[in-house]
Amino acid sequence: MNGLGRYVIGAVLCLVPVYAAGQGATARIAGGHPDLSGMWNGGGGRGLVISADDPLGAYLAARDGTLLNFERDNTLVRRADPNKPLYKPEFWEKVQKLDQNGNTQDPSYGCMLAGVPRMGPPVKIVQTPTELILFYVSPPAQGWGDQYRIVPIDGRQHTRLEELDGTWKGESIGHWEGDTMVVDTIGFNDTSWLDIGGYFHSENMHVIERIRREGDTLTWQATVEDPDVLIRPWVMNSRLLRLNPDPKAVPEETLPCVERDLSHLVNKEHH
Amino acid sequence: MGGTPHSVQAQFDLNKPVTVTGVVTKVEWINPHSYLYLDVKDNNGNVKHWAFEMAGPGALRKAGLSRADRGGLKGGDTVTVNGVLSKDGSDSAFIKDVKLPDGRVFTIWTNDPNAR
Repeated sequence: MNGLGRYVIGAVLCLVPVYAAGQGATARIAGGHPDLSGMWNGGGGRGLVISADDPLGAYLAARDGTLLNFERDNTLVRRADPNKPLYKPEFWEKVQKLDQNGNTQDPSYGCMLAGVPRMGPPVKIVQTPTELILFYVSPPAQGWGDQYRIVPIDGRQHTRLEELDGTWKGESIGHWEGDTMVVDTIGFNDTSWLDIGGYFHSENMHVIERIRREGDTLTWQATVEDPDVLIRPWVMNSRLLRLNPDPKAVPEETLPCVERDLSHLVNKEHH
Repeated sequence: MGGTPHSVQAQFDLNKPVTVTGVVTKVEWINPHSYLYLDVKDNNGNVKHWAFEMAGPGALRKAGLSRADRGGLKGGDTVTVNGVLSKDGSDSAFIKDVKLPDGRVFTIWTNDPNAR
């Protein structure tokens, strides 16, 4: 069986137990909104991804048993994802150059933060009547470590953009739209990337994350609005996470990050 | 590997296996890759300082190398490591397996990506 076949079957097998797990009643708080609190998946990395149209959702087996094929095949699958941010023509060359030199230009290299929305969904959520506390753990081979976000859901408005220092995670404020928690974030730096691939953004980026709990599954989806550089908003592939069934589970502490490889690279090959 | 942008190909030659026996000088538990450092004597008695890139503690646990077993990676122990050589000619390699002083061998780099 070829690698793609394994990928497809793997993705299908993943779908079955997770959807079954999502069929229970959704836990709710006194006010009637869903309770998002809990550990979502194992607490490490970017979480279980089962959307069949997300090329990151499954890994190809190592064709012929080599690490080389594993890396290159998965890179091809990842890059074949048609869902990419669409840049204005005047930025195409910049994106290409950043991508070609990703080993030195990508801020995730060298232990910098991923930032919003690249850091993906949280691994743990604590929901209070007035705020969400979101905890993140970086994937094993990324260095950004343990991160948190405090998201007020008390009805306040954003600070004026001009008064915000641009940061990696920006200023986030959440509100309910029906049963969906919408986290609205502005006030970014222009250092973080949206993803591997040279996908930079401006300081005027606006990110809208939608978090929805159904039973014991959590759907996270982010949309990036950045009219300074993008032709149209980028609707990122959604991620589906499962509630960790172990009530005693806690996120794993991540290691400090020190990049030793950069001085030893002999070519530009990257993911 | 995982989330780091660069490929193993950019740093190591998968077609150049290497076996090194040496004395552990340091184990560095860091992201994005942990490191195992060995002092290795060549045939002339000269000591070379080797650096082996490896996965983090989580991956080592999955490889069966528990914290207790990791006592076999402490300074002063003599271990034998199989890996693939760096491309830049430095005394460094990407670790594939490690043989502890008591003879047990742990495969750290498997071809199963889910093992990572």
